[in-house]
Amino acid sequence: MGANIYKNKKPLIVFLFPAFLFMLVYLFYPFFMNILNSFQHIKNLGQSTGRWNDPWYTNYVELIHDPVVLTSLKNTLIMMVVTIVGQVGIALILALLVDNIKAGAKFFRVVYFFPIVISATALGLMFNLIFLYDKGMLNQILESLGKTSLTDWKGEGLALVTMMLPVMWQYVGFYFVIIITGLNNISEELYESASIDGATRFQRVRYVSLPLLHNVICTCVVLAVTGALKVFDLPWTMFPKGMPMKTTFLTGTYMYYQTMEAKNVDYGSTLAIMLVVLGIVTSKIVNVIFKEKDY
Amino acid sequence: MKKRVLALVLASAMVFSLAACGSKDTGSEQPAEQTTQEAAPVEETEAAAPEEAAEPAGPVELNVTTTFAGEDGNAQNFKSAVEAWCAETGNTVADTSATSDETFKTRVITDFETGSEPDVLFFFNGADANSFIEAGKVVSIDDIRAEYPDYASNMNDDLIVDSLVDGKKYAVPVNGFWEAMFVNTEVLDAAGVSMPGADYTWDMFMADCQKIKDAGYAPIACALGNIPHYWWEFAIFNHTSPATHLNVPDSVDSEQGQAWVAGMEDIKALYEAGYFPDNTLSATDDETFAMFMDGKAAFLIDGSWKVGGIVSACQTDAEDASTLDAEKLAKFDVTYVPGQGDRKATDLIGGLSMGYYITTKAWEDPDKRAAAVSFVSYMTSDEVVPVFAQHTASALKNAPAVDESVFNPLQIKAMAMMSGATSLTGAVQDIFQGDCRVSTFDGMPEIVTGRVSAVDAVAEGLEAYQDAQ
Repeated sequence: MGANIYKNKKPLIVFLFPAFLFMLVYLFYPFFMNILNSFQHIKNLGQSTGRWNDPWYTNYVELIHDPVVLTSLKNTLIMMVVTIVGQVGIALILALLVDNIKAGAKFFRVVYFFPIVISATALGLMFNLIFLYDKGMLNQILESLGKTSLTDWKGEGLALVTMMLPVMWQYVGFYFVIIITGLNNISEELYESASIDGATRFQRVRYVSLPLLHNVICTCVVLAVTGALKVFDLPWTMFPKGMPMKTTFLTGTYMYYQTMEAKNVDYGSTLAIMLVVLGIVTSKIVNVIFKEKDY
Repeated sequence: MKKRVLALVLASAMVFSLAACGSKDTGSEQPAEQTTQEAAPVEETEAAAPEEAAEPAGPVELNVTTTFAGEDGNAQNFKSAVEAWCAETGNTVADTSATSDETFKTRVITDFETGSEPDVLFFFNGADANSFIEAGKVVSIDDIRAEYPDYASNMNDDLIVDSLVDGKKYAVPVNGFWEAMFVNTEVLDAAGVSMPGADYTWDMFMADCQKIKDAGYAPIACALGNIPHYWWEFAIFNHTSPATHLNVPDSVDSEQGQAWVAGMEDIKALYEAGYFPDNTLSATDDETFAMFMDGKAAFLIDGSWKVGGIVSACQTDAEDASTLDAEKLAKFDVTYVPGQGDRKATDLIGGLSMGYYITTKAWEDPDKRAAAVSFVSYMTSDEVVPVFAQHTASALKNAPAVDESVFNPLQIKAMAMMSGATSLTGAVQDIFQGDCRVSTFDGMPEIVTGRVSAVDAVAEGLEAYQDAQ
């Protein structure tokens, strides 16, 4: 028998089956049902469907004509850009700075990572107090500096910025840790050789650190973009129901709103399908643009 | 070969462990069948001795959901009553109460749909309850009385609301509610406006709002982008009457439909005049309530439960009544919402809109049936109901005389206001449920800013309503 056992792959299937079964029941079956639900008339969660929509693709027509869908798509796109520039970009700068100091590096790692361990809902409530119209922290600071009128940080003009700043701040630490781990994997000998050749600190970063971080940054960007599609809790806590005037909806929050608040479950299912398609297409595009290199 | 056997053993272990994880339901079915068989003699005993029927056979855990949570004025009363009942009966309660909002309603309805409903629930008796009543998932009071004749016998049956589904009575009420206009008198004094009374008209209200605005205050504390419900109700009521208010229009072109449109237009006029807070479209209800409490807004339309909310906000410790700032509380009063047309200011929205239901699931569980009846009987007893009802109405046949000495000044003002009410009409929004509300509730900011016309918004809601019927 000997090494032949390793050629027989059948036992592996037995091991893979439980996980497959789990996925089948809790992922693929609900997804398939969700597709069916999007063609039916369902006005409460858990309610058995009454009838098929007439015509059956009604929700998909509504999806195209719904102006809030367009708003949520636009906001999600902005959120993606914000996560790439704001989260990965700031995380990269912070990681490079921390990597270049000797004293206090551990302290800064903990400080930057800390927001990740706080619940997004708690963060949302905290930022609600910061951006509060009357007696909010920011408005009090501005008042002490001489500003006479209150700023409505959650008003139509500033709502998107107010929503995206906390989201950006929350996840900087996550990418910071990934990038700093990547920096730690770069051999010290390379930096020493560059120093001997007369490279300045900036040149060492430009010509040693950044090229060798390419794959790490690509991974971070893919994670950031796909994460932006799923972000929900913090925006919903700060801006429930897309307040104000449905201008702050993201694809995820709009799907939740239609399902849980508006009780338009079949349309919520349609939005969920749009979200899945969007996720697949976006991750494919990002994977092509930010392709990892083999060294 | 040994390795192959080992692989099979491991695989079997994994499959069994998964099966074990998912076998809870199967496991619970078996004892349930057994207990059903065992229950027969208990039922016979209960029938033989009805006076002892409400006593559970042994300690059980009841799953209970109510709206007595969060800022509800009766949250603490409910906790105390539950503790007292548990101490008296030896049973325990798994309390999943939550603040009354759309999420709570969705959760309860979903629980029913998925078969994970509680044993007892305190819930709305309007259209919200239609789905689980239609599905036969709660037991009617008459059916319970067939076995427990004393069940809710202390209630005036005429005041127990009939189901919209089959006309039967299901929910045993505790306390009634009313909606009226709370006033921050400090703001009125500063603006030179006198306290509104029973003859308050819409024109007088508009004039007062202008004076208050000119004095630098927000006349109305309301977050239109978050909770426009109370203004929605009264704005429509002002164009209907106590006799017609509960009629949902057939179409937007009908007389009733036009009344709804006129109501929305009134709210738009208030917004355009700048009588709501500057951030009314982006604020939450908590924020505008804080403005009202801080003396930055004059009027607040809300329900009787807000009396407790205002009193709590006047305490340094919301849980400790001894920390009440009486001077601050004295600045608040409650009066009638300005009226117009066929509605007098003293015609109020109110009634007994909620009650205790016993679910069919608990009723058919021989271990829980008696406990559930005992729990509801305790919570709706002559002793407990007055604690919850306080300054509001109840359905008790023998309501105890009100001892004003136990009430705070705002509760006494509320009772005085209620004593002048000429009618109490239910809220039409309790009938107009689900996605039909979206265009005029969530869509209120679009209506007041003119992005969507009131006619279109009302028509969209009515279309959704008709579609659901």
